[in-house]
Amino acid sequence: MHGQADRRSEVTRGASDGARRRLYTGLWVGALLAILAFLVIYPVIMLLLGALTDTNPVVDGLARSLSHLSVANFLTVLANPNVGEALLNTLIACGGGTAIAVAIGLFFSWIVVRTNTPFKGFIAAASILPLFAPPLVAGVAWAILGSPKTGLINTMFKWMGSDFRVDLYSMWGLVFVFGIYYAPYVYMFTSSALRNMDPSLEEAAEISGASAFSTLFTVTFPLIMPAIVSGMLLSFIVMLGIYGIPAVLGAPTNLNVLTTYIFKLTNWSPPLYNTAAAVAIILMVVTGLLVYLQQRVLSGRSYTTVAGKAFRPRSLDLGPWRWLTFAIGILYLLVVVVLPSLALIVAAFRKFMFIRDVASLFDMRQYSLTHFESIFDNPLTMRSIYNAVEVGVITAVVGGALAFAIGYTIHRTRVAGRGAIDLISTLPVAIPGLVVGVAYLWAWIGIPGGLYGTIWILALAFIARFMPDTVKALSTSFLQIHRELEEAAWVCGKGMLGTIRTIVLPLASPGVLAAMTLLFVLAIRELGSSLFLYTSNTMVMSVLLLDYYEGGNIGKTAAFSLVQTVLLGVLIGGANWLSRGAAQGNVARTG
Amino acid sequence: MMATLEVTELRKQFAIGRPAIDGVSFSVPAGEIVVLLGPSGCGKTTTLRCVAGLEHPTGGEISISGKVVSSPERGVLVPPRSRDLGMVFQSYAVWPHMTVRQNVVYPLKHRNISRADAGRKVEEALALVGLSEYGDRPVVALSGGQMQRVALARSMVYRPQLLLLDEPLSNLDAKLRLRLRDDLRVILKQTGMTALYVTHDQAEAVVLGDRIGVMRDGKLLQMDSPDAIYNRPADLFVANFTGATNELAGTLVACNGRYGVVDFGDGRRGEVALFHALAPDEKVRVALRPENIAIGRPDGANTFSAKVLDRRYQGTQTAYGIELFGKRLEAIELGTAARHQVGVEAPVSLPRECLWAYRDRGPVSHE
Repeated sequence: MHGQADRRSEVTRGASDGARRRLYTGLWVGALLAILAFLVIYPVIMLLLGALTDTNPVVDGLARSLSHLSVANFLTVLANPNVGEALLNTLIACGGGTAIAVAIGLFFSWIVVRTNTPFKGFIAAASILPLFAPPLVAGVAWAILGSPKTGLINTMFKWMGSDFRVDLYSMWGLVFVFGIYYAPYVYMFTSSALRNMDPSLEEAAEISGASAFSTLFTVTFPLIMPAIVSGMLLSFIVMLGIYGIPAVLGAPTNLNVLTTYIFKLTNWSPPLYNTAAAVAIILMVVTGLLVYLQQRVLSGRSYTTVAGKAFRPRSLDLGPWRWLTFAIGILYLLVVVVLPSLALIVAAFRKFMFIRDVASLFDMRQYSLTHFESIFDNPLTMRSIYNAVEVGVITAVVGGALAFAIGYTIHRTRVAGRGAIDLISTLPVAIPGLVVGVAYLWAWIGIPGGLYGTIWILALAFIARFMPDTVKALSTSFLQIHRELEEAAWVCGKGMLGTIRTIVLPLASPGVLAAMTLLFVLAIRELGSSLFLYTSNTMVMSVLLLDYYEGGNIGKTAAFSLVQTVLLGVLIGGANWLSRGAAQGNVARTG
Repeated sequence: MMATLEVTELRKQFAIGRPAIDGVSFSVPAGEIVVLLGPSGCGKTTTLRCVAGLEHPTGGEISISGKVVSSPERGVLVPPRSRDLGMVFQSYAVWPHMTVRQNVVYPLKHRNISRADAGRKVEEALALVGLSEYGDRPVVALSGGQMQRVALARSMVYRPQLLLLDEPLSNLDAKLRLRLRDDLRVILKQTGMTALYVTHDQAEAVVLGDRIGVMRDGKLLQMDSPDAIYNRPADLFVANFTGATNELAGTLVACNGRYGVVDFGDGRRGEVALFHALAPDEKVRVALRPENIAIGRPDGANTFSAKVLDRRYQGTQTAYGIELFGKRLEAIELGTAARHQVGVEAPVSLPRECLWAYRDRGPVSHE
């Protein structure tokens, strides 16, 4: 009798245990969804509402703004010829840039994977360097090199007695700089596709009588077409969201793309926040369509050509031509890394940027530390660095922890609602940084005493913006931990949280640390979303750089660019060291 | 049209290590199928790839129908596309972005052949490999065996002088492999192709080859008809590789032409076959096939007493481990009945023409 009662009480306890567990998981999923809604859904909805009203949330108050909703506002914006022009410019610049990026990326992946070009390992490592340069810094460097009147390149041409002049303050300049800086995106996709391709597919073509050239175009390229297309789309998507390069190169001739136009709208007085929201939505829709297309290409026609045995990658003997390919590699490096770095160094250390002739360029009396002294005399400089680091740390810690929770919930549990968590947390992939900025602006500017004007609004925007990449990076780090290792801990009597603390976290810690460092780096170099969210108290490095540039002092701009680049270089080096190379691809993904 | 392949003193030295091919010479007469057989890493695939022109030899000469296509000494190196070859790869190498017909017509597009002619040739080739109805399918929708048939059709559609096949069946599952192996021989013989075929599977080599060349460590050990390879292997390695896995050590005490007498120790002597001239008192190793050991049937002069150590029933045959001259040997007896008990002493007879004596060159590894 006694035993039966015991068993019955055990059964009831079991049932209440189950109910309690259901309650806990329900609370957990609810909490995650609430956080995600707060971070992603609410700002996007506010952005949509902003696009549909015609009032200013600061002047008129949020409540009044929301009572003026009408599709007509959005249609007015669409009909605005300036918007149409910005959209057209964007498509031309990104389209042209993508074409150049594909040509360069494809050529380099072929050189590195398929030929016996000397030092190709070095070329491969160097050709992804542009990924690490913040777009604004790249833009500044190319402005110093390629401005039509005072540009270093034109000074050189003048010295050589040539009448040839370059003008990068133009659509051509924009296309050119976009193309050379975003070629690595194409390279990363196509080189791995080439490397994973069974070489006998090409050998079969050669045996069949095709020349090396016709093999390339009838077999090799068609086979890696999915990789080419998705690399192409990705570079297009990244270019769409870039602010720094068009801001520098387009401004002098009033050449607007969507990103620069959005920022201009919010800088008008009074600021046209609703027009900005509407244009941001256009940008978001275009990006979203392209992201969708890219996902389709990646998941669709993929030719698995792996034969199951390890193969030596084919290496085409170029004979003496290999020195030509080597020279092209070095030329690219020169154009993309060496020249811009030299330009920044010259501008940063030179007292006056006016360079009469080449002799004056090498005149050491013209150089000094003036600009560095003057930027560090400005109290804003140290404050912006301090702010950037503070935002970076908050973003890395909070964002890292949140991404871990999300990643674990999506990949390692079977709780209901994880599909929704997955979907919402990947949504920001399709939202350019600048649009995130505008959305957060709309979400918080009308709420007095709220987040607007604090460091936290920047951090939260960054967390939302980089969520998909952080979740992906973290997930790979613990997906490598075999499930059975966790199951073994459960069998030993550890609970879910105990298992995560004693098994998953220690094993995944290198990956988690790397992902957090990466997040830190991404946060301190982010410009697009900061633009709309900073106030004089929360000025961050990337925004201050833009400030210096718009202030017109090229020397200070270059000096601060160098400070930033060195800081970032150290940080990225550290991140790479922590993750042993895994972080690289992720800096790339977010531009 | 059909031509001979002539390979003379072929050498291939990669950047590091011993040469992958170390002085290989052989020829393939028109219309014959020659199989290169050997364990992985023996240089057979490298030899084939040198003939194809995909690998560049470092020495020796290759000529196809009298025309030298590769001779590093004379600076001759004809690119693969000008050698008029067909090749079938281990991984099929059919192009996944094309249909079956597009795959097969591809080589014809790089030759001066009219569209109508090309269409007819493609249909012929597809009919030959039994894929007439599959022309418009994308190749990715085919099974492994069908893909390999596409690869075969593609390599034969332009009737090349010489067909090269690089382990074409090794990625297929066992049952399909047997069927395609038999089909392949029929197709090759039907078209009168000259072919060089590389494999590590002796059964495949025996069925397909008019002649088999056994390779090891970059050297061609023996090139002969399948029958000769199986019944008169040139050395201990060939004997072992083709299935004579038992080995006995002894000393030759007398020889008389094709046969000799070997002392296996303790005065136990037996008659053996000699393929090479050996002198009395030489140390020898004697190779013996498991299926040539007859247990329980005292027959002829070479009858000894052995002990049955273990028995493994395998359905249509039974494998025994027996102890003979203090050494463990494998024996196989065909039939569905397992006749001998473990632990019994039984007479075993070893026919002298199945005991092949080779000079003892010290321990040899067979793997």
